[in-house]
Parts: sequence; structure tokens; C-alpha cells
Amino acid sequence: MADYETKIEYDIHAYDDEEPAANATRRAVLQAAIGVGLAGTLLSTLYVGAGLVPKKVVTPENEPLAAGDILVYAQGDNKGKPISPTDLKPGGPQTIAYPMNPKNNVVKGGDPNNTVLLVKLEAGKLSPETAKNAAEGVVAYSGVCKHLGCIVSNWEASTQDFVCPCHQGHYDPANGGKVVSGPPPKPIPQLPIKIENNQIVATAFFLGEPGKEV
Amino acid sequence: MYQWLDERLDLTRLNNKLFRKVFPVHHTFFLGEITLFAFIVLVLTGVFLTLTYEPSTRLVKVEGYPDPVQAAYASILYIDSLPFGAVIRSVHHWSAHIMIAAAFLHLLRILLSGAYKKPRELNWIIGILMLVTSIVIAFLGYALPYDNYAITATRIGHGIAESVPWVGVAVAQIMFGGDFPGSEHNIPRLYSLHVLWLPLALMGLIGAHLLLMVKQKHTQPKYAEKVAPGKILGVPALPQQGMMSGVLFLVYVAVVFLIAGGFLAHPVEAYGPLSANTPNVKPDWYFLWIYGLLKIIPSSFEFTIPLFGGGKFGPEFWGGVVIPSILLVGAMLIPFFSFTEGNVKQRYLELPSRHPRRTSLTIAGLMFLIMSTMAGYIGDTGMEWLTIGRAWLLIILVPIVTYFVSFWIMRAIWGHTWRDEPQVEFISGPKGSAADD
Repeated sequence: MADYETKIEYDIHAYDDEEPAANATRRAVLQAAIGVGLAGTLLSTLYVGAGLVPKKVVTPENEPLAAGDILVYAQGDNKGKPISPTDLKPGGPQTIAYPMNPKNNVVKGGDPNNTVLLVKLEAGKLSPETAKNAAEGVVAYSGVCKHLGCIVSNWEASTQDFVCPCHQGHYDPANGGKVVSGPPPKPIPQLPIKIENNQIVATAFFLGEPGKEV
Repeated sequence: MYQWLDERLDLTRLNNKLFRKVFPVHHTFFLGEITLFAFIVLVLTGVFLTLTYEPSTRLVKVEGYPDPVQAAYASILYIDSLPFGAVIRSVHHWSAHIMIAAAFLHLLRILLSGAYKKPRELNWIIGILMLVTSIVIAFLGYALPYDNYAITATRIGHGIAESVPWVGVAVAQIMFGGDFPGSEHNIPRLYSLHVLWLPLALMGLIGAHLLLMVKQKHTQPKYAEKVAPGKILGVPALPQQGMMSGVLFLVYVAVVFLIAGGFLAHPVEAYGPLSANTPNVKPDWYFLWIYGLLKIIPSSFEFTIPLFGGGKFGPEFWGGVVIPSILLVGAMLIPFFSFTEGNVKQRYLELPSRHPRRTSLTIAGLMFLIMSTMAGYIGDTGMEWLTIGRAWLLIILVPIVTYFVSFWIMRAIWGHTWRDEPQVEFISGPKGSAADD
């Protein structure tokens, strides 16, 4: 056994001694081949790994909000029914709404970024910019917090602010959804609306990109 | 029977080599074992849960709900209706909490007693990786009941993952199976990661951890040096240590079932299925400090590097990724900043009182975590005094003050012993009697 091992060692040394230059080249070629093989494998893994990102499938339920959509209750007993501006309590709290496509009556609740906040304020309190896109004191905003994507569901009655329940971001609905306090990086975009047949209708897309700021 | 097996498997040799292995005894050595027991209970209860849980968001009709609910949520209702189903689900929940708590205390024990030093640096790093893996597994399991509370917590995690510059969106898409909530791939993706792939990775790490522990031997209390210098003092793995561990395991199971029977975890019916609004949520205690940091880091902490399509370094990235990563990488590097004189191997436990800097730094670190956790309560009723500015002040000042106060107290009490050789006192019996045995 021991003799056998010694012999192998001897053979290896013999190679080195005979042709050092040729062996160096051979080693370089082998190392390059291994390197190229590994790099190729890793690259192909990336291609396969990209398949782990699912494709977005557009269904009628998660199409983006569009001009002409009717705002309906997103939850509660009247879920799916159009919101009448007279049902909104003056001075808040906000009502959470989804847009409904008037052509096929599909409620687009499949994408959280379609969530809309509705609140009725005194028309005189609105800033001129905000008032332009409001209707009879009703203002509409994207409901998705710009910070980490929660739905801005709480209401601070004393200051009349939207409050995000996740990290206490405060937004001012009378001033274009401006951030009053807390960590959100941007205002929530306003949704221009009009009132038609006692229903609230979007007249355009949100004034900015809705959803968490990426 | 024994002889038949022994002739084929050489059980006697195995017994002599492995099962007679000496285990040093100290009550804090059981923290790691409790972590392992919690993991075993998690696997066993998890098996029960997987047999009934349906990882899907297809809509099904459930009695008592006006609208169809997601199958995942419905299957949790079904599990809760099974005999002891709700208890087993609660055991799974509380065991996860206990596992993370025990792992953290185990880590503190290693840190305070200097057991991370050469030659155990690798096992220290593996230990931190296991803690991180456990927390990630716990987080990925959070969404599975698919109630409104769980969805909100997971949504925040998705947002934090997305905040990583350049790669964040792709990472979040792969980890959560698309946008969360809203993709039908969410639950299958989170489910397979939670029940299969990450637990397998954790098992691999546990195996490596135990193998290294056996190979490198346990650190032991200092008295062992006086009693049997150069030897390991303790009890054999079998039967003594095995008996103690077995009893402890049974006690653990009993206690966790008692807790679960009394406090049913995560009442999904109270939270309700996915709805349009977001409820008031707080994450589990081990995430509260990150949650607190997210609340106080202002949106102005942001800049963009206009390279490769723009990498945004926003407040969520600082609070949710950078600060935790700094702490973790810092913790991993601790063994490489220890200045033990000479090229010696750590064999005995160090007394925290004789290492005032390390001990004070550890306490200061804990104060940082506690103060950040407190910042998580900003905006709650009764916490009006805690403004964002005051939270910042507390988070920065309290750890620094704690360090110096702790150091000063330790110097006042133990300062005169720092330069002495450690003294060993025997709790019972005349001095030296243990050595005579």
C-alpha cells in the first residue's frame, strides 16, 4: 500500500520535472475550462430563476382604474353598491371604495392599488388645487400608503387627517394628500371626480402613480 | 437482541465513542436544547397542520360568511374545528415564539461567557445564521392563515424587501410570488418556503452546529480546571445527560401545551378574511424594534444613485434592512475582535463580571433594542409623551449612558478582582473535596 502511494507521488513529481512549461499551460487551460463552465452554469441559473417572478395576469377585476369608473363600497353591508355622496358623513371618517367598470359592472378590487379613499369635507376648507378635482366637498385619494403599501384606513378627527395604521403616516385630504407627519415619502395622489346621477364617477386616472413608492 | 444488533452494528463501540461523551453541566446550557426542542415541536405540529391546510387563495363558500373566502383562510377555520386543532395550531405559534426567544438567550449566554472565542468562531456564525433563518421562517409563515392581520404584516415585509436598491423588486417578487397581496402565486410560494425549503436549510445548519459542538467540545465552568485540569468535567451523554434532556423535553411539551390551551394564538375569526381596509397591526415582539425604527426614520433620509436605472436608498431600506444587517454582520464579527492574549483556545466560561467592556456593550445593545421597540408604540393611547424626536433621543442616548453606568457599577463592585487570577469557590462541601473524588 505504502509503496503504491510513494509511486504515485513519484510519478507526479516526474511530470513536473519533465515539462514544467507544458504543465503550466495545461493547468491554465483546465482552470479556464472550469471557470467558463461555472460561469455558464450560473448564467443559465439566472435565466431559470427569472421564471420564479410570476407574470402579471390582467383580469377584469385587476385592470387599473379608468376615467368613467363608478366608485362603489369596497366592504361592509353595501359592498359592491355605488356610493351616494349624500351617504358620506361630513367631516369624515373616510369611506373605502373600489372603482367599478360601468360597461360590465365588474368591481376592480383585484388590485390593491385601485383602492380609493372618499371623504366629505367643508368645501371652503379645501385648497384651491384640491377643490378643482373635488365635487361638492367630496375628495377622493388613492388609498395605498406611499410608505409600505398598507391601506390608509384610520381617521384623525381632531386634525381631519387620514392616518395609516401601519406606521402612523398622516395625510391631509384638504391639501392634495400632503404628508403632515410620519414616514411616508410622498403625498397620496388625488383622484379627480364628478357627481353624476347621485353616483361618484372618476373623471381621470389618479393625479400621480398610486401604490407604495418603489 | 442487543447482541444480534451489536454484532452487526458494533453498538458497543458507538456507545463508548459517542454516547459516553462527557457533557458539562450548567443551567444556562439548556437554552440551546430548549431551542432544539421548540424546533422539534414545530416540525411535529407543522406536519399535522400541513395535512389539512390548503395553500391556495381560490374562493370557497363558508357557512357564516356572506362572501366567498380564500381557501387558505377556510382551511384554518377547518383546522380550528378539529379535535385539539386550535390547540395544535397554537402550540405551533407559541413554539415559534419560544424558539426565537430561547435562541436569542442562548446567543446572549455565549456572548456574555466568551464562548464564541477561538476555536468556536464558525459555530458562532452558524448560530447567528440559524437565528436569522428561524426569524425568516416565522415571518414567511405569518401570511399562511390569510386573515386580514397576517396579510397586513406580510404586506409590510413585502414593502421592506422592495425597498432594497436595484434588486429589491425582483427579490420581493421571487420571495412572495409576485405582488403581495394580489397574486395567486403568493400563498403557494410562501408555503413551500415556510414548510419545506427553509426548514431543510435550518436542519442542515442545526446538523453542522451540533457536529461542530461535538468536535470542538463544550466550554465548561471554570471550576472544572481546578477539579480536573485539561479534562472535561460533566456527565455522560447516556444515560445521565439523555435523561435530563428527555425530562426537559417533556417539561417543554407540557408547558407549551399549557400555554396553548390557555391562550389560543392568532384568532383568525376575529381578524376576518382579506378586506379592503388595513387593521391596526403590530408585528410580533421580535420585529417590534424594526417596526419602531421604521416609524421614526423620516422620509427625508433618501437619496438615489443614478446608475443602472437608479438605485433608491429610502427610509424603509435604512430601517428595515441596513440597521438590522449592520447589527447582524457586527455580531458575526465579534469573535474576530476579541483580544485574548496569546494563541490560546477558549476552554472555560468567562465570568461577565470580569469582562466589563463586553458585558456593558451587550447591555447597551439590549437597551438599543428595547428603546427601538418602545418607538414602535408611538401614536398609541397613553404614549402621547413619546414623540418622534424624543424616541430618537432615547435610542441614541440611553445605550451610551447605559454603557458607562454599567461599566462604572461593575468597576465599583468587581474592579478589585479584575487583575487577579479567577478564584474558584465550591458551593458545597469542604474545599478540594470534589478533586479528591
